[in-house]
This record gives sequence, C-alpha cells and structure tokens, in this order.
Amino acid sequence: MKMEDVSLSSMDNSKMEGFAQEILSDLVEDACLGLCFEVHRAVKQGYFFLDDTDQESMKDFEIVDQPGVDIFGQVYNQWKNKECVCPNCSRSIAASRFAPHLEKCLGMGRNSSRIANRRIASGNNTNKSESDQEDNDDVNDNDWSYGAEKKAKKRKSDKVFLHSLKQPVHLNPNSPRRSKSMKHKND
Amino acid sequence: MFSVKMSSEYCVFMYVALAVRARNYVAFNRSRFLFQINMSKESQMRAAINQKLIEMGERERLKELLRAKLIECGWRDQVKALCKEVIKEKGLENVTVEDLVAGVTPKGRALVPDSVKKELLQRIKAFLSQHST
Repeated sequence: MKMEDVSLSSMDNSKMEGFAQEILSDLVEDACLGLCFEVHRAVKQGYFFLDDTDQESMKDFEIVDQPGVDIFGQVYNQWKNKECVCPNCSRSIAASRFAPHLEKCLGMGRNSSRIANRRIASGNNTNKSESDQEDNDDVNDNDWSYGAEKKAKKRKSDKVFLHSLKQPVHLNPNSPRRSKSMKHKND
Repeated sequence: MFSVKMSSEYCVFMYVALAVRARNYVAFNRSRFLFQINMSKESQMRAAINQKLIEMGERERLKELLRAKLIECGWRDQVKALCKEVIKEKGLENVTVEDLVAGVTPKGRALVPDSVKKELLQRIKAFLSQHST
C-alpha cells in the first residue's frame, strides 16, 4: 500500500461538501466551548450578573416615543413662552431675550461697554475736539455715508474702540518707509 | 492434547482445510480491506488539508470571522441567556463547565443562523479548492 498524495480534484463534490461541513461544525463547537468557558469563569469570579439592572430602573429610563416630547420625556420648548421679571428695571422680558437685556440693563458685558464708549465719544465730539485726526475722520464718515446711518455708527464705534486701545500713530517724517519712498522717487 | 496419527492423508486434509479457510477469510474481508485502504487515503488527505488550514493561519481567521458574525447576529446573547437558565437550575455555586457545555452546546449549535453558516462554508470551500494539491 503506497502512500500516495491524491489531489482534491479527485474528491467529488459531495465529499468536499461533507468535509467543509465537518470543518464548520468543528469551528462552531469551538465557539460554543469558548463561550461556555467565558461564562463559567465569570460565574466563578463573580462578575457574571454585574451588568444586569433590575426591571424597575429599566422602566424608569425607557425610551419615550410621544409627539411633542423628546426621548427622555422632556418638553423641549417649554421655556419659549415664559417671561422673566428683570431685577433691575422690573420689566417682564421674554425668556430668550432675557440674557441680552440683562447685559445692557446692568451695564456689564462687551456690547454694553462698546455702546457706552460710543456714546461718550459722540458726546465729546459735539462738545469739544479731541484730536484733529479723530475729528476729521468723524466728519468724513458723516459725509460719506449720508443715508446709511448704521454703517456710520459701526465705523464710528470701531474707530472709537481702536483709538481707545492704541495710541494714535502719526506718520513719522523720519521713518524708514518715508525715506524709502523718497529714494524711489528720486531714482 | 490428543495424539493423532500423522498419516499422509491426514496431512493433506489439514493442509487443504487450512487453504480453504484462508481463502474464505480473505474473500470475506476483501471488501473491508479495500474500504479501509480508500478511507485511509481520504483521511490522509483530510489530515493534510487540516494541517494546511492551521499552518497558514486560515483556521484562526475563520474562527475570528465566525466569532464576529455570531456576536453581530445576537447568537452570543441568546446562548448567554441559555447559560443563565442552566445556572439558575443548578445553582450559582455548583455550576461546572460540564454542566454548561452539556446544557448549552446542542441548542447553541442549532441556533447558528443559516446566513452565517453559508458564508463560512463559502470561505472554507474556497480554501479547499484553492489548496487542493
């Protein structure tokens, strides 16, 4: 009896099918056994039942599927119609407008200080001139944007803001840039 | 022990009887012998393919694929529930591996969905036809 290597092509389909089924059932059995070992270890080490919750708390957190309500059961726009009383001016304001109103009312926050600065600046302009530059700018602004008041206001407020931050940098006649341009002109 | 007269006729008779018995024995068992020869060729082949399956790492990959598919289709949770039943039956302290295996494996094997089986079979057959020689 010789030990020949027979090719699988000589094996007919039914035998191949049978062989494949055998391999599959071995693999499935491995999977089952693996799971049994895992479960057994979990039982013996005491962590098998850890991730179970009791029925009562499961009911508390069940997903809610009603109209007008989110999945936690909360109404999502119930603060839309409510009104709050401002502690400063004692007016009743809508809830979504309450925070900005409070900012202006109490005089805190970025916007309110900007508006206040602008008012101061415009007040000073009408009373006395601070610096030539600022004056000219403001006058020019008014000339350019005759009808667009908003734009003028914005530019004014921006300019006032910037000027309040930086010290005004006047063009230095001796600055290198100036001299450079002069050089080019000469050449 | 009885003494037999070893006459020549007797010797011939004994010899022929033995020959007949030998022939009957071979004739009767020839089909069994042939079957064993064929089977051993086939089982050799199967053994060789199994070895290839393991050596090339394909068996591990198939195992991982099967594991992932079984978790995905919910089989693992189903079998875990079966395990819980066995535990409640036998008591938490006294459960043995044998209890679990005996109680869960037959049902577990039946619970594997057909789609998973089909896909695994496809891959196995592809491997078999690829590495047939």
